[in-house]
Amino acid sequence: MKKIIFCFIIASLVFGETKKWDAHSAYLLPQKRWEMGLFQPFRYGYSETIEYSVHPLWFFVMPNFSLKKSQSDFAGFTSASQYKIVYPTPFLNMIAKEGIMGIIAPDFQMPPMLGLSASWLMSKNMSGVDLTLKGGLDLGFAFGDLDTRSTIDLPLVYHRLGVYYNNWGFHTGLDVQKNISEKIGVLVDADLRLLPGLNGNYSLEHKLLLSWHKSENFRILTGYKFVMGEYPYGSDMRLLPYIPMYETWVPMIEFQWARKKR
Amino acid sequence: MKKLLSILGVLLLGCDPFVTEFEDLSNALMYEADSKSNETYDSGNVKVVTWNIRFGIARFPFFGDSCGDDVILDDDTIEKNMAAIADSLNAIDADIVLLQEVDVSSKRTGYIDQVQYLLDNTNLNYGCYASMWKADFIPSDGIGRIDAGNAILSKYELTDAERIQLRLRTDQDGLTQYFYLRRNILKAKIPTLTQGSKDFYAVDVHATAFATDDTKQQHIDKYVETLAEIQSSGDYFVTGGDLNSVPPGSVTDFCLSDMCDGDDYHTDQAEEYHKEGSYFENFDGEPDILDPLYEVYDSAIDSDDANLPIHLTHGPSTSYEMNDIKYDRKLDYLFTNGIWENTLSKTHQAAWELSDHLPVSAVLNVGGE
Repeated sequence: MKKIIFCFIIASLVFGETKKWDAHSAYLLPQKRWEMGLFQPFRYGYSETIEYSVHPLWFFVMPNFSLKKSQSDFAGFTSASQYKIVYPTPFLNMIAKEGIMGIIAPDFQMPPMLGLSASWLMSKNMSGVDLTLKGGLDLGFAFGDLDTRSTIDLPLVYHRLGVYYNNWGFHTGLDVQKNISEKIGVLVDADLRLLPGLNGNYSLEHKLLLSWHKSENFRILTGYKFVMGEYPYGSDMRLLPYIPMYETWVPMIEFQWARKKR
Repeated sequence: MKKLLSILGVLLLGCDPFVTEFEDLSNALMYEADSKSNETYDSGNVKVVTWNIRFGIARFPFFGDSCGDDVILDDDTIEKNMAAIADSLNAIDADIVLLQEVDVSSKRTGYIDQVQYLLDNTNLNYGCYASMWKADFIPSDGIGRIDAGNAILSKYELTDAERIQLRLRTDQDGLTQYFYLRRNILKAKIPTLTQGSKDFYAVDVHATAFATDDTKQQHIDKYVETLAEIQSSGDYFVTGGDLNSVPPGSVTDFCLSDMCDGDDYHTDQAEEYHKEGSYFENFDGEPDILDPLYEVYDSAIDSDDANLPIHLTHGPSTSYEMNDIKYDRKLDYLFTNGIWENTLSKTHQAAWELSDHLPVSAVLNVGGE
């Protein structure tokens, strides 16, 4: 079970930032509409100005909550602020173990930790292309002795957890999406994470996704994610998803559903 | 077009293997000290040492090879251990150093490149390295990223360094084998020590420790074959390493003395009758597995003396705390197709705190037949 949860969480890091259906734009979901995917958080349009999301599977091992609030337009861009809170300790202690799937050495007991993140998002449609700019501050608090040797030195993971070791960091990014036809869209994004002072202080993530909209309530996405960055052992890069035993990249595939609550 | 090639290159680099596998024969990685010293060979004898340095963790109770359950040592202690290993090598003052279990980029040892560290902190100038375990991430016991292997260090330039793959264990399932060690023989030429028309080679080996099938026999056979090729070419070699084999006439069963709290061996209820790595009769002929080496080549420590207490080279790292044992078997050897100055061969037992293996040194009588 733990293996399944871990694989799911790693996969959701790859899949979890799609923008189609406006997940990471400044646009909010219409009121009472919900969306979720295999690896995508559950999002819900609570009102015309507030949207919230949680990752249901993560929630039990890594409690998390995110809230997006619309703001006044700025320089012609639709604007929103987003706030996230996450408590990763239970999950990290699950994988600090002996034997297979011992991702963190069992020598370490992870203390209570809290992650906070605040972002500003600005979106605009320009000549049929949706453009979103975003940036924000990340804070990580450890309420106890967090041993610096307990890091997970893997792409996607190291810099997301790095904020707990560094206490703070920045993130910024750019999303571009365009509908090629009525049913098919393309999304390209780039996200930069900076953790000034940390040994391995940046990561750059880029993804390209093609999406096929079967209807307003269902779509399928496929594409890749590319990660490069600095790690405690030096620079590294990887194309994801990657299947280790076959030593090959495979395209990601994501199914997403949506409905409007009556 | 240039941009397209750049993008393609980036994508291909992004697909580097997660676990590195090796061809039967591949090039070793070459190293040089930041600043070199004492490079001149004065035609005198050549001192050689072999040492499994246990990746600089000294007697740390590492989960993999002792009764401990720790995985990652702190950086300060590793630095201290590596400094002590460098001091020992400087004190031995060997011309050629054959090392096993050297980390060059491993989470467990703070990503220190130990080959470069030793070159920069000893009187040795050149090095070559061959991985036996290289993976982006080992998802077990918190090992994480690893790159560990064999290294040859030398005062004199090394060339033609080759990594010779040894057979993988066959007593493991596919997933375990994928993430497991890929042991090797590391062979390099030392042109400075060429004798007339005869080339001079250093050969380093680390044979399997924990296999319960015939993998160890395969490893020793390949090692013997590699040495025989040099011999038949009329060239010289010095060789050694951690053969994970006891000398002829040795005790072959250390299961009970290596047993950890809660273990059970030699009983009908035991999950495994013998402890992996502590039993040396897994297949017919294993107790005499080193005979072909002793019979054909000159050993730094004669087979008659190999089981004497002063020549024991290994004890599990936690044996001292548990059973007051610093070393209780010989696993580390030096051989040559030349002649050792036998009175000068030594097992450096004073270094017992720096690894679970002890250095063995010998002096080659250059030109002796």
